[in-house]
Amino acid sequence: MSKLSTGRKASSSKLSSWVEPSFGDLFSGSGLNSFTLKKGVSSGETKSKSQTLNPNVSGQRPSKRRAISSAPEPQPSLGSELRSESHDEPWVDKHSPCSQAELAVHRKKIEEVENWLRIHLDVKAENKSSTILLLTGPSGCGKTATIQVLTQELGCRVQEWSNPTMGSEFRTEESFRETFDPDSRFNGFHGVSQTAAFQEFLLRANKYSRLQMLGEGVASDRRIILAEDLPNQFYRQPACLHDILRRFVRTGRCPLVFIISDSLSDSSSSRLLFPRDLQEELAICNISFNPVAPTSMVKVLSRIVTQEAARSGGRVSVPDKAALDLLCTGSSGDIRSAINSLQFSCLTDCSLESKLWPVRKGKAAASGSRGMSKARSKSKTSKGHEIQDDSQAIGGKDASLFLFRALGKILYCKRESCTDSEWPRLPPHLAEHQRDTLLVDPELVVEKSHMSGELFNLYLQQNYVDFFSEIEDVAQASAYLSDSDFLTSEWSSRSTMREYGSSVATRGLIHSNSARARANSQTSVGFRPLHKPHWLQVSKKYRENCQAAQCLFTSYCLTPVSLQTEMLPYLTKITNPYRKMAQIAFIQEVGHLPLRKYPGRMKLEALTDRDPGTLEVDSEEEGAEPIGPTPSQGEPVAPEDSTLSWSQGSEGDPAAAQLASQPQPSTIQALLDEDDLVIEEYDSN
Amino acid sequence: MSLWVDKYRPTSLGKLDFHKEQANQLKNLVQCGDFPHLLVYGPSGAGKKTRIMCLLRELYGPGVEKLRIEHQTITAPSKKKIEINTIASNYHLEVNASDAGNSDRVVIQELIKTVAQSQQIQSSTQRDFKVVLLTEVDRLTKDAQHALRRTMEKYMATCRLILCCNSTSKVIAPIRSRCLAVRVPLPNTEEVCSVLTGVCRKEGLLLPAELAKQIAEKSGRNLRKALLMCEACRVQQYPFSADQDIPDTDWEVYLRETANAIVSQQSPQRLLEVRARLYELLTHCIPPEIIIKGLVSELLSNCDGHLKPEVAQMAGYYEHRLHLGNKAIYHLEAFVAKFMAIYKKSMEEGLDGMMF
Repeated sequence: MSKLSTGRKASSSKLSSWVEPSFGDLFSGSGLNSFTLKKGVSSGETKSKSQTLNPNVSGQRPSKRRAISSAPEPQPSLGSELRSESHDEPWVDKHSPCSQAELAVHRKKIEEVENWLRIHLDVKAENKSSTILLLTGPSGCGKTATIQVLTQELGCRVQEWSNPTMGSEFRTEESFRETFDPDSRFNGFHGVSQTAAFQEFLLRANKYSRLQMLGEGVASDRRIILAEDLPNQFYRQPACLHDILRRFVRTGRCPLVFIISDSLSDSSSSRLLFPRDLQEELAICNISFNPVAPTSMVKVLSRIVTQEAARSGGRVSVPDKAALDLLCTGSSGDIRSAINSLQFSCLTDCSLESKLWPVRKGKAAASGSRGMSKARSKSKTSKGHEIQDDSQAIGGKDASLFLFRALGKILYCKRESCTDSEWPRLPPHLAEHQRDTLLVDPELVVEKSHMSGELFNLYLQQNYVDFFSEIEDVAQASAYLSDSDFLTSEWSSRSTMREYGSSVATRGLIHSNSARARANSQTSVGFRPLHKPHWLQVSKKYRENCQAAQCLFTSYCLTPVSLQTEMLPYLTKITNPYRKMAQIAFIQEVGHLPLRKYPGRMKLEALTDRDPGTLEVDSEEEGAEPIGPTPSQGEPVAPEDSTLSWSQGSEGDPAAAQLASQPQPSTIQALLDEDDLVIEEYDSN
Repeated sequence: MSLWVDKYRPTSLGKLDFHKEQANQLKNLVQCGDFPHLLVYGPSGAGKKTRIMCLLRELYGPGVEKLRIEHQTITAPSKKKIEINTIASNYHLEVNASDAGNSDRVVIQELIKTVAQSQQIQSSTQRDFKVVLLTEVDRLTKDAQHALRRTMEKYMATCRLILCCNSTSKVIAPIRSRCLAVRVPLPNTEEVCSVLTGVCRKEGLLLPAELAKQIAEKSGRNLRKALLMCEACRVQQYPFSADQDIPDTDWEVYLRETANAIVSQQSPQRLLEVRARLYELLTHCIPPEIIIKGLVSELLSNCDGHLKPEVAQMAGYYEHRLHLGNKAIYHLEAFVAKFMAIYKKSMEEGLDGMMF
């Protein structure tokens, strides 16, 4: 019977979802009868009822398809709505942590946040200056959950800002909102900009304690202000926010917590909203969360699964350990998406396939653990790994690495010791090339770093020397870097060679570091700061200076090389009073090299943990290199950009400003007036 | 007051100080009022441009010396705006098309076309052709050179080309065969000395013969450099003394120090310092090719004979890469690192040899 009903159902759902329920009534057995029966159940007892449903009823029920099909029913009854609320409630909400133990965040982080909260909630009374806490981290790493749990445990109230959607919908707290009609309460905010509303909110939340509601106990005076989404205006003009914060810090009485997700796109990054100098100025405490560790994520997931399984009484299929691991890796530390995909993968197969179970188990044992929605349409003998790929595609999240980590992976090149007997050893004359198995996949790392191979190579080039101890190794590594630049030199083949280039560079660097050839011989270099590539600035400066030299000293009619290496350096040695200011300034700047002071290490911009890297470099590289993150657009002649953009690129730069100050003829007309520029040296006889 | 280099530049073929025979030949060449396309080549500082300007003066009279700098904008077929500086008189136009980089083809075609299409108005007093002087032809792309070949033939009636470059090896054969090649070699030491003494005499200075010889040798017979050096000496100290030391340019001193730094210690840390110095040189407008050449000559003088071939070979290898690649620092650094490795190895071997 089960087979028959599945087939019919599939076809009927194709026909129309409107017709489906009635057909379902006809064809399915007890399960659907109980479903219709359940629809009649009054709203009050839904929750308890659903939890005590007997297994064979639940076996049929919470299919995704059903949930969809029941939605557009002509007259949706109250009962069905509530039912879906209780059962299809996202597990993320259902199983949101309510104690510190349940949090998937590292203990140290929780303690850090807790300490901060304790200090600032208590000190508040005597010390009027409230400070600001900034929580950053990738999405789904438990920032909000941590705050929620901690505020609950510490017994303080949260006043949360949320962007008003229409005019002013103004919410401070859940209960508050229920009690008041927001529109009537905050009428004054109609037509007020979000920025102003935000400021007003801070003021009010800060100044006035909450109204005492009837039937509530005496609320504690402890409260924090929480802001998770900020008015859009702040992203465009961070200075706006900074002003408000400065004012808040002066007057604030209760701690203010910002929660901001890191993202690879720079637009919403915390660096933009809370630049370092502001953090220092306002003593903002920044606690940065890491992605949830796989171990704690597995713990949470299996806890949820066991709870669900117990509650539903076998209605949900329990994924095995391997499946959970897969979910974890797929979500790349985002616990929210992990739970979502867990729920999804648990639910799908229980509706229809539960009775097919034995059949499927017989045919494909591996696939039994997770029934995908696709499994229905797919042939039942699909292989295990295929299904695993599917689950990655559905529940998975694009894994990405912050530049800092990506560089670290290449430069620290962790290896795994392999047992000698397993692997054939290299012959003696090649023994120096023997390396243990790599733990990282360099190509994958570059791919995940979200930047072009060339740019990544520049970052590597800037930083690799620190990780080497032998000059021979450095020589080898630099030869590889040179190779990789050489590979991508030809613009016509660049698009294909780019990946080879980055592969050669990364693998070459890893291989040539002989000090890290073995898993156990990892000499502890310790932490080395990483820097942003200096080359981009240097090459830009070089081009600008060459350009400026050409423009300022055209009257000498020299080729660039002899101008730059002969004329300019000697001009610094020769006093010649009849020169223009711009020329003198340029000679002073370019002609003199700092001979006296011995340049140690250059002043470099350190690369921090969460720097996206790409954007800034992008602007630096704008027009400079055709091989930047944005290669030549459309036009096949890529290198054309490289040299042409000289003049365009230099606009708005200091050198260009200098150029602008120089009388620079743009047309022939202008030239003829410009006596200054007429060369008269030739006719001195 | 202008530089000595410009102030005492000869302005007619008869007044040239050296290669007088060649000057005579050039004079004869333009005697009839016309001449073929010319390809003038020779090392830097040998007087190519001076000769060309003398030639033009011979042709057109003093009018060619009224120069003006023009800033031209050319629109490529791809709607790209190319800006380029030209130097022009009423009779000729000088342009360094390689400034335009990869768009040099367009620049050459457009500029020559504009020049060639505008007829001379007073044809009675003037030649019926204009001259386009292209400098640094050896730095043009192959594309541009082929375009030049066609343009040369097409506008032969109204326009003559004078091409100027350091070496003909990078000029394609069709162009070479269409031009009369004129090689301007460097003056020999005596000629440089006599020019220096002559200039000093005109300035009212007394230049000791020894110093003149020193300058000539130090400048590598590059007359422009020699004159600049001489003027720098004058600024440094006057009256001249015979054993006065001639001021080096800052970048040469800096480069020498860099080479010393490389030789004195070979470690990753030192390499970082060297990298910083290379960056410093680059930001001061010293082209990477010059840097690697300077480094090699300094390093070669610092290392043992048996290392020299290897070092020179490496230098050649990486200089080639430098020309082909995009980012000079990779190749410069690879060269330095490689030298460090080789040098260190040879030093260690030398120590071992001493011990046993």
